[in-house]
Amino acid sequence: MHIPDGFLSPSVWAPLDIAALPGVAWVARRARLETEDRSIPLMGVMGAFVFAAQMINFPVGLGTSGHLVGGALLSIALGPAAASVVMTAILVVQAFVFQDGGIMALGANVFNMAIAGVLAGYIPYRFLNARWRTGAIFFAGMLSVLTSALLALSELWVSGVRLPNDLPLWLTLGLFVLNGLLEGAITVAAVGAIGRLNPTWIQQPEPSNARAKAVFASAALLLVVFGILLASEAPDAIQRLTNISLPEVSSAWLHKAGAGLGGMALIFVACALTSRFFARRQRSA
Amino acid sequence: MHHVVVERWSRLDSFLHSLDARVKFGALLVFLIAVSTTPVTAQLAFGAYAVLLAVAALGSRLPLTGLLSRAALVLPFTGTFALMTWWAGNPERALALAEKSFLSGFAALLLIGTTPLTKLVAGLDSLGAPRALLLVIQFLYRYLFVISEEAQHMRMAASSRMGSAVGGRRMAAGAVGVLFARSSERAEGIYQAMLARGFQGHYPMAAPPSIMPRDAIFFASTLVFCAAVRFAL
Repeated sequence: MHIPDGFLSPSVWAPLDIAALPGVAWVARRARLETEDRSIPLMGVMGAFVFAAQMINFPVGLGTSGHLVGGALLSIALGPAAASVVMTAILVVQAFVFQDGGIMALGANVFNMAIAGVLAGYIPYRFLNARWRTGAIFFAGMLSVLTSALLALSELWVSGVRLPNDLPLWLTLGLFVLNGLLEGAITVAAVGAIGRLNPTWIQQPEPSNARAKAVFASAALLLVVFGILLASEAPDAIQRLTNISLPEVSSAWLHKAGAGLGGMALIFVACALTSRFFARRQRSA
Repeated sequence: MHHVVVERWSRLDSFLHSLDARVKFGALLVFLIAVSTTPVTAQLAFGAYAVLLAVAALGSRLPLTGLLSRAALVLPFTGTFALMTWWAGNPERALALAEKSFLSGFAALLLIGTTPLTKLVAGLDSLGAPRALLLVIQFLYRYLFVISEEAQHMRMAASSRMGSAVGGRRMAAGAVGVLFARSSERAEGIYQAMLARGFQGHYPMAAPPSIMPRDAIFFASTLVFCAAVRFAL
């Protein structure tokens, strides 16, 4: 779901653009530190691969078909930092060359798909893989797509692009979940096929300890619930929150910008805390 | 393939083509910010933005129908949301959604239609964008058509072997796997070729030319026009 220009209000795209710039720079630095020079052509060609793989139709019955989105597949094959860089590159090329997604909305799209989507696709794989491989890959694909879609919907909602009231929220969410299930199934099939050809193409994370499952479940739940919350209720909740911290802000624009920034900061802090927690636990294990 | 059209456009010659990539990118950002912050009721302002784009399109000497039809690619997505917004009881916002996204898409198309991607990337590099990301973008764009054609060849080969029996989840998964394998091999081959040509771990990036007076005039007039439309209409 690539948000074009003209949909997001400045109070949504501006903070996301400003946050995405250092975010992408950080991820790019990390991806380059973690890997060698040969990784740059590899990442570029993998981006081209995702483009081409999206043209392959997966029949899903009832005469319809779906296609791979690829965030989870990339994070499983290349690791999360490189996957983020590749996804960002894909989004930039889609926005500039194919007019798919806006330029000012690029920060939002990068945040939804290349940062949150890739992270949501990596966490289940990282912590569930040793116990239940198929499930890990399935949830990776599903959560990746679900997180991106919910974030996009929330951003549109905060911008005032709302679904009609007589269109029930559960219908939209149901469609999102269906999309997530589809991406999960396609990711499982694709990773299986790649692994059969050459197992070394798929990164194998070290087995994690017993608490991993619980931690993963709560992290996943956090991401999904937060998305739903933001989509339905949270504009007000966050606004109230920023109201408390910034009582003197009177301008409506600043107020909305504060709400957007606040919501994003909350997600960022949640993600940073979970990853910090994982990292510490891994070191002590 | 249809996207080669934009690449061919970007190698033509015109006033807009001759401008510095950074200046065009900056002017695009000014335009997009102005459009995005314009209130949904300011129909006159949207008309003025359209006039500015029409002048720029004339200055680019690109085919107008081609530009219009490519910019219209955004309309199915926009139209869906515009219809829903209309249904939600906000026809003014629905109309503005369609106008804003079309104007923005058209402006972005004018940038990419008059600037080869290598020049744009070099410009972004001198503006401080992350080097690793820009390199990945260049590799991606260079091999996009190669890998896409490979996928099309695979599909053609499969349908000539099996006719209408092509399809099924396992076969699609197998195709993704083989495509991954070929992409991976190709990336390794590219790296070997780079080493053979004396690659030593440093990617050179073309230095952008210096800003000319006409670049400054173009940027200043875009800024003044957009500010005037945004605040006066």
